[in-house]
Amino acid sequence: MVFSRLFFIYIFLPVCLLCYALARGTKHKNTVLIIFSLIFYAWGEPVYIFLMLATAAVNYTAALFIGKYQGKVGDTAATITAVVYDLLMLGVFKYSGFILENINALFSSSLPVPDIRLPIGISFYTFQTISYIIDCHWEKVKPQRSFKDFLLFLTLFPQLIAGPIVRYSSIEKEINERTISMSDVSYGLNRVALGLAKKVLLADQLSLIAESFLGNIGGSTMLGAWYGAIAYAMQIYFDFSGYSDIAIGLGRVFGFHFDENFDHPFMCRDITEFWQRWHISLGTFFRDYLLYVPIFGKRRKYGGLFLVWLCTGIWHGANWNYIIWGLYYGLFIFIELLIGKKKMKVIPVFIRHIYSKFIIIIGFAIFYFEDLGKLGTFFKTAFGFGKNGFIAVQDKISFVNNIFLIAAAVICCFPLIRSIKDITDRRFAAKATMSSAAAVVSALLLVITSIILVDATTSPFLYYQF
Amino acid sequence: MKTNEIIPRLNEVFRDVFGDSSISVTEKTTADDIEDWDSLAHISLVAAVEAEFGLRFKMREVSAMKNVGDMINLIAERGR
Repeated sequence: MVFSRLFFIYIFLPVCLLCYALARGTKHKNTVLIIFSLIFYAWGEPVYIFLMLATAAVNYTAALFIGKYQGKVGDTAATITAVVYDLLMLGVFKYSGFILENINALFSSSLPVPDIRLPIGISFYTFQTISYIIDCHWEKVKPQRSFKDFLLFLTLFPQLIAGPIVRYSSIEKEINERTISMSDVSYGLNRVALGLAKKVLLADQLSLIAESFLGNIGGSTMLGAWYGAIAYAMQIYFDFSGYSDIAIGLGRVFGFHFDENFDHPFMCRDITEFWQRWHISLGTFFRDYLLYVPIFGKRRKYGGLFLVWLCTGIWHGANWNYIIWGLYYGLFIFIELLIGKKKMKVIPVFIRHIYSKFIIIIGFAIFYFEDLGKLGTFFKTAFGFGKNGFIAVQDKISFVNNIFLIAAAVICCFPLIRSIKDITDRRFAAKATMSSAAAVVSALLLVITSIILVDATTSPFLYYQF
Repeated sequence: MKTNEIIPRLNEVFRDVFGDSSISVTEKTTADDIEDWDSLAHISLVAAVEAEFGLRFKMREVSAMKNVGDMINLIAERGR
């Protein structure tokens, strides 16, 4: 099921909230959440839901063994078994086609390439189970004894399909003990409305620009290529951060506090900072469970850096462009590391902004083109070696027609809400006005979003495919 | 080893790694207090601390250090 569908907003969610409110006590509320989460998932994955349940059972059981044999051989064996199982499932369902295709190409063999459809959300929930298992092994958390409570952590529908990658440690206490205040509910619902608006009003509209210029890169001009790539960079941001807003907002309505996943990434001054603000839950996952892996000896800093960015690329998809994309970011972070923070700061801020946005926009173009031939055409076109010249009339028409959309999108990349809140929080009257205004704006956004959704065939969130 | 023996030596390591002679760490110092202390700098820091105190941190320890106090406790236990 997709958040940005009228069925979800006006039927599934209200019924779920009603049942949740009627259920007495946290135990019953948890039952309601699990049932609705399983329906939510089964809606789009009636078969693969059994894979997810099997993964839940394997990891739940492994963690019990880890707890039982803490520090002994059984602990290590259970940890390895669970992590290997998790990676194997991810490997089989996400990468087997890609691996076999490459083997066939490399050795001119003709191994049959299975046509496996990617189970929705597998990349996200697999990382959640891995982090849970390693945290149990590291004694950071105690293994969850109740399968029901573990299932709640894993399947909680706000975050099940496209993150944030929620750590068990961050919601461990809230599973059985959480209070929900009116301010939580109001904050959560505002956040959901904001996320929906980002997705439907900005991302889905920007996607039309990106599609018409990048989708037809062979017919684009130099300016058209850049225009399409910029639109795509913003599309992905509003799509994915909109999804995260909805996930975090819904979580809050049910009394859960998920960590933030985005912090205005385009405000960054360098690439290192960009990744501290973009898809934060993925970055911290790799930092905690991969970066410090002690296999590179004296070169562990550079070895770790390379491994993290290779894996970031691979995680995003079974295709070479994602691997190139990951290593591309790794390369710039490596260069920034060599220059050093002190010397980077000497460079004027506006130059650092231009540099970082330039690298990021090209990065998203690499991300866009799964077909490397088309990626090549993009590079040729964007750097003035294309066959369609610098600018054409369709560029001007699209820009003029979309001027308000582009202006709104650019403005929304800035931390507006935070700035307004900083000012209004200082005075009680202003704060009260602000919270009423937020409710009105959210309601308005929801109405406009709904109207657009009535006759739109919205695409699912981009990160559903990862 | 005692905390008051560790802190001056540890402080030297911090000043060295971050190239900032004004740093003075306490048990409560966290990565938020030192601007340049990010995940990559953490690797250099850990390597320098390991060299200074002649110990090896486990991956779980490197990943779990939340403040300088955590680091000091490990050094007190196993450092030289």
